[in-house]
Amino acid sequence: MSILEFLWDYLWVVLLLTLAVSLYGIIARPNMLKKIISLTILGDVVNVMVVFIGYRLTYPVVPPILPSLSKESLSQFVNTAVDPLPQALVITAVVIGMAVNMLLAVLTIQLYRLYGTLDVREIAKRGGEE
Amino acid sequence: MDVVGLTPVIPVIFAFALPLTSIIVKGNRKIIQAYALLGTGLTLISALKLFELVYSSEKPLIYTFGGWTAPIGIIYEVDRTGALITLLTAALMFLIAIYSYRYLEHEEGLEWYYTLYLGLEAGLLGVLLTGDAFNLFVMIEVTSIAAYALVAFYRGRKDAVHAALKYAFIGAIGTTMYFLALGILYGAFGTVNLADLSAKVHGLSFPVTGSPVGNIVIASGVALALATWAFLIKAAIVPNHFWLPEAHPAAPSPISAVLSGLVVNVGVYALIRFLYTVYGGELTPGLAKIVGTLGTVVITLGAVSALFGALMMNAQRDVKKLIAYSTIMHMGYLFMAVGLGTQLGLQAALFHIVNHAIAKALLFLAAGMFIHAVGSRDINDMAGLGRQMPMATLGLAIATLSLVGIPPFNVFFSKLLLFDALMERSFALAMVIVVSSVTALVAYMRVFYKVWLGKPTKDVTVKEPVSMSLVVLLLAATVIVIGLVAPIVLQNYIEPAVAQTVNYKLYIQTAREYALRLKLP
Repeated sequence: MSILEFLWDYLWVVLLLTLAVSLYGIIARPNMLKKIISLTILGDVVNVMVVFIGYRLTYPVVPPILPSLSKESLSQFVNTAVDPLPQALVITAVVIGMAVNMLLAVLTIQLYRLYGTLDVREIAKRGGEE
Repeated sequence: MDVVGLTPVIPVIFAFALPLTSIIVKGNRKIIQAYALLGTGLTLISALKLFELVYSSEKPLIYTFGGWTAPIGIIYEVDRTGALITLLTAALMFLIAIYSYRYLEHEEGLEWYYTLYLGLEAGLLGVLLTGDAFNLFVMIEVTSIAAYALVAFYRGRKDAVHAALKYAFIGAIGTTMYFLALGILYGAFGTVNLADLSAKVHGLSFPVTGSPVGNIVIASGVALALATWAFLIKAAIVPNHFWLPEAHPAAPSPISAVLSGLVVNVGVYALIRFLYTVYGGELTPGLAKIVGTLGTVVITLGAVSALFGALMMNAQRDVKKLIAYSTIMHMGYLFMAVGLGTQLGLQAALFHIVNHAIAKALLFLAAGMFIHAVGSRDINDMAGLGRQMPMATLGLAIATLSLVGIPPFNVFFSKLLLFDALMERSFALAMVIVVSSVTALVAYMRVFYKVWLGKPTKDVTVKEPVSMSLVVLLLAATVIVIGLVAPIVLQNYIEPAVAQTVNYKLYIQTAREYALRLKLP
């Protein structure tokens, strides 16, 4: 089972690295659109992390189906199924994230129409002017 | 009719039906205004009824969605603190809806304004009534999205779009952090219901869910740090304040009043729920250390915010920016009081939330009357208008005197309570209140001097719309009345509310009674 444990740890490391990359993008990239893409990456990383919190590694893999209502099949089901509640939380968060991203995209389009640029340094120089 | 579940649903239904209605009535402004008043008015009636019910019952009220009790389904659990702020929110939203009609008489898109406005109200009420940490996240997002879009209401103006984008971006980062905190809490405790979380933290039993797994001290520490950071962003505490002085002035004045008076309270209320309900009372040593550290951090940041906001007020030429910095100052006071963790601190915070919301809304609405008359936000353009606009000047005078803490107005009494609560901790913290109040007084007097005695720079034909004047007058009367009967308000409404909120065992017990009725196979 060591390969499974390795995969598990490997995926956590990858998630943390992706989190670092997205934070770098939010802080350091001057283009507003790049910042928004980094923000969506951050949201996705957090969603995958929450799914992982309720995940369980089993081998061989069993589909989450309850074949009959008896004590044995129930106990086997409980021991192999993953926790569905984090997935329910994540699907809600994904929908909300879509709404926020749409609003950010609309505002970015409007910003480009008004300023003619998406470079935040340039905009900050002219920021707040009427 | 279960009024607990009904209260946030009314504005939701009205908000979603408004775009269709406006097509049917072909954008008739009067009908849309009447519709919005009906929606906010019904919500106010429902909130009044809820307030009566909660204050007449000993226990918090529970509403189970679809009959699924905690910890399986989402429940609403309303205690007196939530009911009090709910009534305040519904009343102010109704009054500001009356004011909005004349303020936006030259603008297009009243129906979209009211759609977002009702959505904002629904989100705010959801935050105040919910008894579930994940539902709190959803409702914070509903509130936030409506607020972002309303800040960008003047979508042809550079400052509005720029400020809204900044606000939306930092707000989205904050709510993502809160969601991660929820994931960690769920991983450690196996539940996201507030009553159940509280039971797990205090080592009490709760049906259905098992015992916590792993190290709950470390998990609680990380989750509380992330969640508090998100609430600091929502309440605009230094170092996460930078969006507020741009976002609040860029919005239309009625929306500035809603944002500064009510929306910033979301962060404070959520922190009260986490610090007093979930992690309140007697804790194990490891958890007590974490909560104590968090309290110290929150108090420090609050004190820095109070002084910073007061200083920056003196450097502003834009009248709404000045008021926005005052909001940062008052949020600093609230966080200092909440971080104390004592009953007196919570009383001071709750009373100050009520007083600050009323006075700050009045100040923004009075300033909005000047802005509506002049068409500019520069203090120098408003010079000398005071004598031509008696109502607006009266509102401005009462609001400013109240906010700096002059007796007999209402904020004086809550500042007195804050002073007492902070004196228990240290003398230096209490002096922060005094120093920042005096600094704010200087800034407000400068505005007042200009408006009342300055040389008029422009020739403007000034008119004071009746509906706007009436709202300002009513709020000014409220400020004076609450100031005069402050001891009675404290005794009858604030103290019982705080006594119920710090009693986390009752909160758990009420949810547990419902949970025990579940028929498990």
